[in-house]
Amino acid sequence: MTEPVAAVEIEGVTKRFDDVVAVDNVDLAIDDGEFFALLGPSGCGKTTTLRMIAGLDLPTQGSLRIFGEEVGMAPPDRRPVNTVFQAYALFPHMTVRQNIEFGLRMRRVKDPELSQRVAEAIGMVRLAGMEERRPDQLSGGQQQRVALARALVNQPKVLLLDEPLGALDLKLRQEMQQELKALQREVGITFVFVTHDQEEALAMSERIGVMSEGRLLQVGSPREIYERPSSRFVADFIGRTNLIEATVESSGTVRLANGVVIEAETSAPAGSDVAVSLRPERIRVQSRGAGVSAGASLDGEVGDVTYLGHAVVYAVTAGPTLVEVRNEGEVGEPFAVGDEVTVSWDHGAAAVIAE
Amino acid sequence: MSGVVEVGLGRRTRRGLAVWAWAVFAFLYVPIVVLVVFSFNASSRVNIWGGFSFQWYGEALRNDVITSAIRVSLIVALVSTVVSVVLGTAVALALDRYRFRGRRALDGTVYLPIVIPDITMAVMLLVFFAEAFKFIDSFGPRFTLGISTVALSHIAFNISFVCVVVRARLDQFDRTLEEAARDLYATGWQTFRRVTLPLIMPGVAAGGLLALTLSLDDVVISAFVSGPGSTTLPVYVFSSIRRGVTPELNAISTLMLTASIALVLGSLALQRRRAGAGRQTQVL
Amino acid sequence: MFLASPGALYLLIFFVIPLGLITVYSFATRTSTGRTSLSGWNVESYEAIGDEIILGIIGRSAWLATLTTVLCVAVGYPFAYYIATRPRHVRAVLLVLVMIPFWTNALVRVFAIRFLLGSNGPASALSESLGLGTFRILFTPTAVTIGMVYSFLTFMVLPLYVALERMDWSLTEAARDLYASGAKAFWKVTLPLTRSGIVAGCVLVFVPSFGSYVVPDILGGAKTLLIGSYIARQFRDARNWPLGAALSVLLIVAMLVAVALNQRSGSGAEDGGRPRGRKRRPGQGEAEPVTAVAS
Repeated sequence: MTEPVAAVEIEGVTKRFDDVVAVDNVDLAIDDGEFFALLGPSGCGKTTTLRMIAGLDLPTQGSLRIFGEEVGMAPPDRRPVNTVFQAYALFPHMTVRQNIEFGLRMRRVKDPELSQRVAEAIGMVRLAGMEERRPDQLSGGQQQRVALARALVNQPKVLLLDEPLGALDLKLRQEMQQELKALQREVGITFVFVTHDQEEALAMSERIGVMSEGRLLQVGSPREIYERPSSRFVADFIGRTNLIEATVESSGTVRLANGVVIEAETSAPAGSDVAVSLRPERIRVQSRGAGVSAGASLDGEVGDVTYLGHAVVYAVTAGPTLVEVRNEGEVGEPFAVGDEVTVSWDHGAAAVIAE
Repeated sequence: MSGVVEVGLGRRTRRGLAVWAWAVFAFLYVPIVVLVVFSFNASSRVNIWGGFSFQWYGEALRNDVITSAIRVSLIVALVSTVVSVVLGTAVALALDRYRFRGRRALDGTVYLPIVIPDITMAVMLLVFFAEAFKFIDSFGPRFTLGISTVALSHIAFNISFVCVVVRARLDQFDRTLEEAARDLYATGWQTFRRVTLPLIMPGVAAGGLLALTLSLDDVVISAFVSGPGSTTLPVYVFSSIRRGVTPELNAISTLMLTASIALVLGSLALQRRRAGAGRQTQVL
Repeated sequence: MFLASPGALYLLIFFVIPLGLITVYSFATRTSTGRTSLSGWNVESYEAIGDEIILGIIGRSAWLATLTTVLCVAVGYPFAYYIATRPRHVRAVLLVLVMIPFWTNALVRVFAIRFLLGSNGPASALSESLGLGTFRILFTPTAVTIGMVYSFLTFMVLPLYVALERMDWSLTEAARDLYASGAKAFWKVTLPLTRSGIVAGCVLVFVPSFGSYVVPDILGGAKTLLIGSYIARQFRDARNWPLGAALSVLLIVAMLVAVALNQRSGSGAEDGGRPRGRKRRPGQGEAEPVTAVAS
């Protein structure tokens, strides 16, 4: 068997708008059947990347292949991909059925196949009975389903979703997350979706590509991205973290800014400046001298306490560094501002970020 | 359900406003209504009511000069509307979505015919045709002012009006709809035909209606660029008024009035129907 | 771009070239036979504008246009205010009543005034039967002013209506809450926030009034010769095309300046004080956009 062909393969793609570099030399391969998220703050180039896959923007340079076929310069109607647009872009002058039929009619699919596929698509997104309504007579969630059906009815090899849940309220958004995942498993095709919401990306996707300022910073599973961020940006953008300046002592130890030496895996050469990322929920707080079981620890003083119901967040001042600690559930007795404490973590909890 | 915005005005202020508003409506409508009423006056003396009669309509419509003027007006209006809708919409689309050399110059030029007074447009075109004829005559054929110069002139100002109205519509147009169509395998032409055109159609129709109205209304420019035999109805009316008010003139004016009002109400009805289909109302 | 080329070419031939020609003509010489000689370029036509009679005509045109504009604001503002503050369904009907005269043949409307005010017209007959004597208003500046206000009032009302309809009335309520009287709230809040509508309306009225030809020709007399009619004369009876051309150029430049000034002040103007994307108050309903294009 040969190496499986990637669903989407981007090689050295750059997109310039006049003088602005929107996407800067991005390499990315998305596997067949994968649920892939492009994550980043607004203006990071994620939407432009998606639009280049769709053919709505053309790359300034680089190569773009879909299932091995070079499509970088092909118009959107010549690509085996379909898009769910950010605000859905449903045609307001057409009914639900006419919207869903549009792509098939453009490709001259005739009855009975036409009506059969449309009926399937309508059933799949549970919109039966709504066929003759116009988009402005539908709720936000229903419009979203129409947009999904309109794209999926064409049986694209890759489905592109641009902030698909951005226009929905929180509750509906959480429902649709589950539904989208289920739908993707059902149709089995590659989904590429763009979002600025890190929780959404973590919850939904098999792999995430984090972008910032036109560059693709890191690609990996949600767990890799969260626990082994490769850059300060990724560590900071995904969830909350404590970033502590440090210097590499040897391949297994780093010296924190306050002089404490901790164990942490790193491939950076000895003597180089790095940052250590510590997730607040991976840190424990104990009374000073209560005996630290394993790993590394710092002594400090509680500076602030925030009660969140399901968790308590402590801001602990340890010398020059401020460490945020998140205690989920009831772990020991609560601390108060001014308490002398020791914060500690397991060896695996500290991620070293080479500069 | 009230919906009245009271904004804390005193009762007397509010009553005063209402009286004022209805007085203004009276100011706008009384002259027109009086004119219409007197067009049915049987008496040939314009100021004395001599009973109801259609006789002036009959006389007006038996007058060959008037029927010819009506014919000229209709031909010019239809031709200039069709041509200016096509050209004006194309210019609006190009200005809206493409960058090209001379775009800014074109953008500015389009607004000029709307801004400058009719009389200057009229003398500009008169001078232009005079020079153009001199030039063409030197090659043999002889051209004179006539129905074609009137139509050409009407297109010249109507392109601008159509363009402005269509652009207003394009401003509200959501370009991602076109991208969606492209994404769903529509070619550039299919996208225009199936998505863009239907959605800007109200603007195109409004532009066409405006062009039609302006062409039927125009008197100044037509007066300068028409020749013998190509008099439009407004030009005929204008020159007749200078000679004095006749009951026949009342009848023709009433006919023109009816045509204008029918056009407005027709377009409003059309929009209402569209609005019922879930589109926004746009009062012209 | 090929899409724009036919229209652009058309405008080039039938607008830009004529515009250039009229400018060229304004520097040409009028021969003794009344023909225009395209040689011996000079600025005599522009110098002739300094003539007392012509300056008088320009001054009168400017005065009448200003008067018309002021009257239109005075008449139109309360009118537009009344319409904009009606309940939604009433407002729609009233708006149609404004639209009908707006779209009605302008010549016919001026003729209606002429008919009404004529010395043997219905108004005169009415005043005679009441023993008030014959009406002698036609062919006076008053008649021209009435005709111009009548012709151009809707050009003022529509932008005013749009501005007032967009007005966020909670701002006026806030002013009242902060101890402003009704009049104070109007002067300090409503009026400034509808300034863009007033300015736009003024330009829409002033520009056609200043260059008006039909209205003074039908309703005016020898004492109300305005620049529009005077230009027409130069191209007809007087056969002084260079002078007419020079006056046309002057008129066009004046109009462009007026419009440019409006755009400068308009771009900074507020939009009824309503922050973008903010929800409307219930009962205020959806906007009815008005496409008010004036010729």
